[in-house]
Amino acid sequence: MKENSEEILSLDSLSIGYYSGKTENVLLPPLSAKANSGELIAVIGRNGIGKSTLLRTLAGLQQPLGGEIYYNKRNLINYSRMQLAKEVGYISTEIIKVSNMRVYELVALGRFPHTNWIGKIEFNDHKAIMDALEKTSMGSFCDKFVSELSDGERQKVMIARILAQDTGLMLMDEPTAFLDVAGRYEVLHLMRKLSGESQKTIIFSTHDLQMAISQSDKIWLVLDNRLFEGAPEDLMLEGAFNHLFNSSTVIFNSGDGTFSFRNESRGNIFVEGEGNKKYWTESAINRAGFTVSEVKTFPYVTTPSESNNYWRLSTHTGMLEFSTIYEMISYLGKK
Amino acid sequence: MRTGTKENFPDDSISGRKYNLIFFSLMIILVILLILDIFFGSVSISASEVIRAIFTHTNSSFETIIMRFRLPKALTALTVGVALSLSGLQMQTIFRNPMAGPYVLGISSGASLGVAFVILGFSSGINGDSINALGNWILVVASWAGAGAIMILIMIISSKVKDIMTLLIIGIMLSSGIGAVVTILQYFSNETMLKAYVIWTMGSLGNLTEGQLTILLISVSAGVIMSILSTKILNALLLGENYARSIGLNVRFARGAIFSCTSILAGSVTAFCGPIGFIGIAVPHIVRIIFKTSDHRLLIPGTILMGGAVMLISDIISQLPGSENVLPINAVTSLIGIPVVIWVILRNRKFSGSF
Repeated sequence: MKENSEEILSLDSLSIGYYSGKTENVLLPPLSAKANSGELIAVIGRNGIGKSTLLRTLAGLQQPLGGEIYYNKRNLINYSRMQLAKEVGYISTEIIKVSNMRVYELVALGRFPHTNWIGKIEFNDHKAIMDALEKTSMGSFCDKFVSELSDGERQKVMIARILAQDTGLMLMDEPTAFLDVAGRYEVLHLMRKLSGESQKTIIFSTHDLQMAISQSDKIWLVLDNRLFEGAPEDLMLEGAFNHLFNSSTVIFNSGDGTFSFRNESRGNIFVEGEGNKKYWTESAINRAGFTVSEVKTFPYVTTPSESNNYWRLSTHTGMLEFSTIYEMISYLGKK
Repeated sequence: MRTGTKENFPDDSISGRKYNLIFFSLMIILVILLILDIFFGSVSISASEVIRAIFTHTNSSFETIIMRFRLPKALTALTVGVALSLSGLQMQTIFRNPMAGPYVLGISSGASLGVAFVILGFSSGINGDSINALGNWILVVASWAGAGAIMILIMIISSKVKDIMTLLIIGIMLSSGIGAVVTILQYFSNETMLKAYVIWTMGSLGNLTEGQLTILLISVSAGVIMSILSTKILNALLLGENYARSIGLNVRFARGAIFSCTSILAGSVTAFCGPIGFIGIAVPHIVRIIFKTSDHRLLIPGTILMGGAVMLISDIISQLPGSENVLPINAVTSLIGIPVVIWVILRNRKFSGSF
């Protein structure tokens, strides 16, 4: 294998958790993983498994219970807090609620490890701040108050803040959690861009498996007993994602990275057609509880084509025509 | 919109021209108020007499009034205003709570408990009318300790209770509890001690001896210097503990520094002037309204100037210019501060949790 990027972070049998009183509550068993510069890494795992604790531990906000963390091949325990702040930026799910704080001021706080005793913004700090705001396309929001921003805008400003902090590694705990669909894709696109163009390593936790699979360079799949590490496609081929679902009702389709529910199949239906229409018709038939069959037998559905405006359901007994998928599914549902 | 060019750079918060104008106006206002405070009093003295008394040596009764009473009193008002407002600003930031202030959260009560212990508990050598220099320092240190103890208590509680209003209620409970302890101390103390303590509780801006004023000035100056040094720490703490740490702040050190600073500021004032309400909570909000910023590089100097000004106004009002009566200072500060506090509470119903 060719080494074309530098290793920025490595975990060596790291065990994380917290102390309550004198008892250790180990959340995760010894984990080993690596991150190279410029990689977008998604941390995936079920709720409460310790994704946030892992990120907090990596950010140096929490003591590991055992094992080592190395930044640029140097042990975390050898970093002072100020030195660490120049290596790692962190965004939690905590929302900053400060009235009278302007976007510029919030992003300027990212310069904390770089400014003098009173926090004076020198010209190069100002440049870093403006640069961060431009990269996150928030440049025109400079003088706005943070309390006036939408959730998506605020998250982008938070990202600008750690960009201004100028760290090689960025840790983000569920950066898309409370965003709407558009906001989610915008923020993810931004993260993608930063990891590619600015060579930032971004490690983020998420529950959105499909988005993680389609966008990240690498996935850390956190399970109760181990951590799977690899490109999403590698994990997919290994069938690693199946471990996420203990319940027997959800099936992860390794073929296309989607989910479906395990239902008693109500029978086989073949779909004749092409492209989009075929894809969505099949999807609807699945949802109605039928299995899409591979061979053309009765019953089968013909999707609309140039010569025909209807979905045609052909059975042994005859043929029915429907003008929408909805009508056809309603009919199938009643049967 | 700010751009990354050098010409536009000084438009950054601290050096902006509009802020310079605000600071300049505040300074002028402060000087005018200081002069007015010296001019007004229960004895009416003409302006020319005042000026003569300050700049010449005539030994007249006017000179005695001006130099021995009014000037020290105005200086005390200025110092008290600065100290209480700064401690309020720091508490609001460190607790991330717009309702925090030395008086409402019981810090002033804690300070008075320290004083009560000294006067009522171990005061065999301290006489209420003439507390000696050492006694003054003991008094002030006890006051700091009392304030600091309550600060730590509030910090522990606030780590468990995130709700702003709940913390406020707990502050009131603490004040009442401390009041009860003081009552018990009073019950078991003898007549001279009791007299000394009661005189202290009535303490106003005008009752300080020269020695006490010196101690107050030294302590508050130390507190102001510490505040200025902690500007960057306070800015980081706006983000909350986790983010503050992630940008490189040693939170434990920061808390220690700011707790000491706040205790010194609020404690010193309470030691000599008694508990004075609502200045600490109200002034930082007035400054935020004027500057529209959360940057402590502006808020700290703004609070110093505004705190002094508001306290001087309170003192001028308390002297009821034109009459021979004097109102208790605490009544005036409450009447000025409470509307601001209510406004903040009403505004916060909308953006719950923010300040």
